[in-house]
Amino acid sequence: MTQWEQLQEAAKTGRVNRREFMRYAAALGITTSLASGLMVKAGYADEPKKGGTLRIGMEGGSASDSLDPRTYADSVMIASSLCIMNCLVEFDSAGNPVGELFESWEAKPGAVEWVFKVRQGVKFSNGKTLDAEDCIYSIQIHRGETKSPAKGILEQIKEIKATSASEVTITLSSGNADFPVILGDYHLVVVPKDFSDWQKPIGTGAYTLESFEPGVRLVFKNRGDYWKPGRGNFDMVEIRNIQDQAARTAALQSGEVDAVNRLDARTVDLLKQDSNLSIVRTKGTGNRYCFVSRVTQKPFDNKDLRLALKYGIDRQGIIDSVYSGYAVPGNDHTLDALNPFYNTRMPQRAYDPDKAAFHFKKAGLGDTKIELQTSEGAWNTAVDCASLFQESLKKANITLDVNKVSADGYWDNVWLKAPFCAVYWGRRLSADQTFTQVYGSASDWNDSDWRIPAFDKLVEEARVELDQAKRTELYFQCQEMIAEEGGMVCFAITDYLDGYSTKVMGAEPHARYDLNDNRIAEKGWFA
Amino acid sequence: MLKVIAARVVLGLLTLLAVSALIFAATEILPGDVASAVLGQGATPETLATFRAELGLDRPAYIRYFEWLFSALQGDLGVALTNKRDILTSIAPRFENTMFLAGYAALIAVPLSVGLGILAAINEGKWIDRVANVLSLAAISFPEFFIAYVLILVFAVKLGWFPSLSTVFDDMTLSQRFHVTALPAVTLTMLVAAHMLRMTRSSVLSIMSQPYIEMAFLKGLKRSRVVFVHALPNAAAPIITVIALNLAYLIVGVVVIEVVFVYPGVGQFMVDGVTKRDLPVVQACGLVFAAAFVILNTFADVMSILVNPRLRKPR
Repeated sequence: MTQWEQLQEAAKTGRVNRREFMRYAAALGITTSLASGLMVKAGYADEPKKGGTLRIGMEGGSASDSLDPRTYADSVMIASSLCIMNCLVEFDSAGNPVGELFESWEAKPGAVEWVFKVRQGVKFSNGKTLDAEDCIYSIQIHRGETKSPAKGILEQIKEIKATSASEVTITLSSGNADFPVILGDYHLVVVPKDFSDWQKPIGTGAYTLESFEPGVRLVFKNRGDYWKPGRGNFDMVEIRNIQDQAARTAALQSGEVDAVNRLDARTVDLLKQDSNLSIVRTKGTGNRYCFVSRVTQKPFDNKDLRLALKYGIDRQGIIDSVYSGYAVPGNDHTLDALNPFYNTRMPQRAYDPDKAAFHFKKAGLGDTKIELQTSEGAWNTAVDCASLFQESLKKANITLDVNKVSADGYWDNVWLKAPFCAVYWGRRLSADQTFTQVYGSASDWNDSDWRIPAFDKLVEEARVELDQAKRTELYFQCQEMIAEEGGMVCFAITDYLDGYSTKVMGAEPHARYDLNDNRIAEKGWFA
Repeated sequence: MLKVIAARVVLGLLTLLAVSALIFAATEILPGDVASAVLGQGATPETLATFRAELGLDRPAYIRYFEWLFSALQGDLGVALTNKRDILTSIAPRFENTMFLAGYAALIAVPLSVGLGILAAINEGKWIDRVANVLSLAAISFPEFFIAYVLILVFAVKLGWFPSLSTVFDDMTLSQRFHVTALPAVTLTMLVAAHMLRMTRSSVLSIMSQPYIEMAFLKGLKRSRVVFVHALPNAAAPIITVIALNLAYLIVGVVVIEVVFVYPGVGQFMVDGVTKRDLPVVQACGLVFAAAFVILNTFADVMSILVNPRLRKPR
């Protein structure tokens, strides 16, 4: 077979998606118009087809789940809420904010005052037409006396008002060029004004809720006439909670579900051989795995010790043996390479036992014990990673005591308290949010206790900077400061690994979350 | 005799009361509380305090214990702290599921193991005895998840005879339910059969060494008649106890099976409750499990008394 034939074959069996098909075709020197014509022939209709029941098997739910957006914390509820409801802002596959129920927006200079246009002609499932008041209500439930996790990110809002039925003006306490990104947070789904029956939410989404057994299954039914063209194609969507990785894999293999999230990196190469399945990999946007030291506690107040630890970890070794290569090395900060402000000029820190030994000697700690607390409760492979870290430090003659602690209550009793412990961070909405929450002086979650006024100033400056080039430079400096001086050894950022039946189309990688930003029910269709 | 049985029942109730206090105490000493567990990384001291006050976690433990106990006695298990659902309505279908699976497994396991146990006792030392012994020992020697995955691989992924997901739903017919839960039921059978089989075999055999059995043989009776008519009734008490113990295990000890087969039983419900520190849920599950255990054991005691004349009149 020629490459072109191979590509067409791959397209027919669904191993490449439309976007990839076009890209590969271009690489083979086939013009776009020819390629899109051939694409239809190769099995790709431009128009998504309607119909069918999509069955998704997901990890990330439990018997205590609720559809109240103030309780969302994991994938099952995020994906489910997006079946019924829409967000104010969504993200394209590169991670840039695009309009959803807020159709467009504009910032007044200084990025303090923002004007959002509400999308017109969108109806809730109870027949009501969306207006500015609904959007405002849906933001307000996360402010004031509430336990919403989104409360923190909305504290910057000073005033929020409807300037007309189709326009919302939000004034911030200080400028934030990233504010639309903040409004894309998955908690901020839109319901009609004064709505509060969270057992049966009303939304503007493609589907309505049929049944909900927490921790077991959610069933959704297409309500027809979705406002996004080409989306919401399935008749029914069924989301099943399958907490066990092996059970999820078996369900996909035996055809009991059409899509699953969070495949096991150790077995995914075997699954790739199954011609009925396609694996979608999103590189390096998953969890950021770190060993975090508190720079205010001895002996980690010594910068050379911190550098020794950063040079003394064999990142690639851990990635290869624990994650079978399905992760990218971290560069000691939690921003990922798909973020537009990711520092590309800073070299990737590599394993260097000599440098580690040099800095350790310079730290002059003698035989001070260095203890790392780790646990399955931090993340499931944290103990393996810690052991490999211990081994790689041995080559630099540094002795690390690895202390495995109870998984139960890990985040209460160890995190933010132990001088050196295993921590994972999820992706944050924006560079600003990452730097403010993880490293900002005012943040309660600044787990390295690294509080530097000069750094805060850089972040504040960047927050109101509307010039992209200047902003990039500021964020580059932020990353360099963290990597050089911070207390965090961020050694790996995992890939998201989704598994699909080959008949599911529209399964593309996305910069934010797996399962096409947890919107496969909305974006996908059956071939 | 009625007095003896009544005494057993009262004892069972007292045990349950003691267990309820223990459950409450145990959930109290779990590290961390529901507020910080629910809010997770999203917790700030301020939201934590708000949530704690909202849940009434700021009041002393003993007051909360008695409140909980009295409402539980009236059938009110409270509302889940995390998703505000009524616990009784959440737990009832899951308990039904657990009972269904346990019953299904017991339906296969009890006749199989008691039958094989008796057969092994009759044919002591012959090949059937050895095969039953070796197979049952092999079955419990493998960890349950291993058996489960092997069954899934062979019968769900390769052969496609049974589904790998055993979730049951309200709209399923009984025969559909039996079909989808076949693999977990077989796995559970393999787990509990050995214990019951060996107990049956050894208690029958120990009775067989008694002088009155020898007398029966000397009368010229056939071995099978001696086993069924003379030995078995006297061996029944330990067999009933071990069956009850295994039934209780089938109800309370199957969390791993529930996870692997994605079966919506009480075990998974309780584990979710523990990870989210949803104390009312954990307490309710604990109470249900304890009740199942106590009821089955009391039942076993009563049955043992009924089948054994010597126990009917305590000295």
